[in-house]
Amino acid sequence: MGEDKFFLGVDVGSVSTNMVLLRPDNTLKEALYLRTQGRPMQTIQEGIKLLRSRIPNSSEIIGVGATGSARQLAATLLGADVVKNEITAHAVAASRVNPKVQTILEIGGQDSKIIILRDGVVSDFAMNTVCAAGTGSFLDQQAARLGIPIEEFGPLALRSKTPVQIAGRCSVFAESDMIHKQQLGHSLPDILAGLCQAMVRNYLNNVGKNKDIKGPIFFQGGVAANPGICKAFEEELGQSIIVPEHYGVMGALGAAFLAQERLANRPESSTGFRGLKLSETQFQAKSFECSGCANRCEIVEIIQEGISLARWGDRCGKWSLTVGTSNDNKLADQQRGQRGA
Amino acid sequence: MKIGFPRALYYFDFFPFWTGFFHQLNIEVVISPPTNRQIMDLGLKNASDETCLPLKLLSGHIQALKAVDWVFLPRMVSVEAETYTCPKFLGIPESLLSSVPTGIPVLTVTLNWRKGQRLVLKDLQKMGETLGKSKIEIKQAFYEGQKWQEKFQKTRGAEWNFEESIREIENLSTCLVKPQPTNPQLLPEPDRLKIALVGHSYLIQESYANLNLLKKLREKARVELIQHVDQNEIETNLLELRKKLFWSHSKQIYGAGNKFLADPEIDGIIYLTCFGCGTDSIVQELLSRKARQRHKPYMVITLDEHSGEAGLITRLEAFLDMVERRRVHEGYVSTHGERLDCYSNTL
Repeated sequence: MGEDKFFLGVDVGSVSTNMVLLRPDNTLKEALYLRTQGRPMQTIQEGIKLLRSRIPNSSEIIGVGATGSARQLAATLLGADVVKNEITAHAVAASRVNPKVQTILEIGGQDSKIIILRDGVVSDFAMNTVCAAGTGSFLDQQAARLGIPIEEFGPLALRSKTPVQIAGRCSVFAESDMIHKQQLGHSLPDILAGLCQAMVRNYLNNVGKNKDIKGPIFFQGGVAANPGICKAFEEELGQSIIVPEHYGVMGALGAAFLAQERLANRPESSTGFRGLKLSETQFQAKSFECSGCANRCEIVEIIQEGISLARWGDRCGKWSLTVGTSNDNKLADQQRGQRGA
Repeated sequence: MKIGFPRALYYFDFFPFWTGFFHQLNIEVVISPPTNRQIMDLGLKNASDETCLPLKLLSGHIQALKAVDWVFLPRMVSVEAETYTCPKFLGIPESLLSSVPTGIPVLTVTLNWRKGQRLVLKDLQKMGETLGKSKIEIKQAFYEGQKWQEKFQKTRGAEWNFEESIREIENLSTCLVKPQPTNPQLLPEPDRLKIALVGHSYLIQESYANLNLLKKLREKARVELIQHVDQNEIETNLLELRKKLFWSHSKQIYGAGNKFLADPEIDGIIYLTCFGCGTDSIVQELLSRKARQRHKPYMVITLDEHSGEAGLITRLEAFLDMVERRRVHEGYVSTHGERLDCYSNTL
């Protein structure tokens, strides 16, 4: 295979949309970390445009994987070959980077998870339950409230000598606790370091409850950029934490690996990718309330230049529609007896 | 005379008894429609915010009962010797009084099997006075109800779907020709995963509130439920507990869950609970400890008022991926289909 063939991995999360281009020899060509800002469709298009400008014109995308909470949307727009949940994608990426990894701590924008691997296989996992306390968006929000760029959050926290105690159970309580501490005159680094500790404590009590955390430990997801949190994790766990090189795009990387594997298993099939010109077409999302029954489902419809690409949101299946390869894949999945990738 | 029966909570376990009972008394039973968004919204608005989702749903169903002479809200204190129902069940006639549409009286009765059948009958006869029914009539109705309940349990034991079992019972009351069940005993598919779904009947069978979990799971795996486990087996599996569980549902959940844990055929267990459930907080932890000891894949799904499915689907898919991959990894050789090679460390 030539130098201009790539696998595309896309992870559309609540806060960030990540894209990677993977060479067939498993090295990374490009990695993008964009803010979703509540507009996943535009962000995906923007990302494709950016990627297109960075690779030669002769380039070809030979497989696409989608993950993240908007994976269905991304798969529809892109014509993805594989659509997988975030846990699987993160685990795949981590174990490709380091096959020995036994624990993955992942903190994203709206959710946090822990994945336990043994011999490269997921043996247990947990995600945060009803509450999004202690995830990236909370840190974002607090940084904005304190008027510091999120990039400086970690380095500032590291300067602390005596971190203050902050209630981490609930982000609302944490915020009011922080304000009290500020009013008492504690320094900013001490408060930030206290917040890091509270978040880590909350994560380990909540998500990491009853989990056998063994090294090597990977810390990935957007929050891994924060050295303050890394330090708090190391202190709490008494072990060193590895932040992999591409920590911010591990989900997308995993999706790309999964696409690669899917197509390697079925050499006869080609990708369902809808082309790099995607960024130039117009996508529209329409939503309406179905009045067929008392459920009043909210239906979302994705339209590309007048043609309906997909609809979802209904409980009864009356409106559901998926076209193109994503549908074929789903069927194929069922026929193949739900084997993993 | 029409009696309104909300399609919630005890509907999922004891509807056959009550409908048989009222049928014998020549009283029509009107059931609220299956949960929909409107019913859920009504329940969420009206019920106390401190209560649990199933009770909020019950409140919605009570409000959905139209054109009935009574709303039937039994106080089911105990349904078998030495057990109680959840404390919230005990207070239902009072705690949900505000949900009952104005002008419709509440019909209630205390059912306490701890005191034995004689006293249960006596309490039912007291309710019979309100309905203008004699002691003999109530006694006959009681036996009829028990017959219907037994029939229901039997079909459940034979692994009928809940919907099929209940349809069978509903047909009894309309005296339709008995339909042959479309036997859900599917052909054995040893290659498909076998997942046990444990939890309260009123969560597992409540397909609106649980976002169709049971159906979604059945599309991907064979599913075992508590209701399909033989009662004797449940009792045997409870013996190891140092102290008896005195909540009837919890007993079933733990006994069956324990059986599933020891069953090598079961690839994984999903515990469906709802936010704020007191009895589950104990039983879930007991089961999770045992699951860890036995290295059985185990996941808890907590329901609340969610209507977005994304979180549920992600967890379900990830769990099934994990179970599948673990099965392959543990030397299970599939009789057909592809296998992963040694270079593949994906799931």
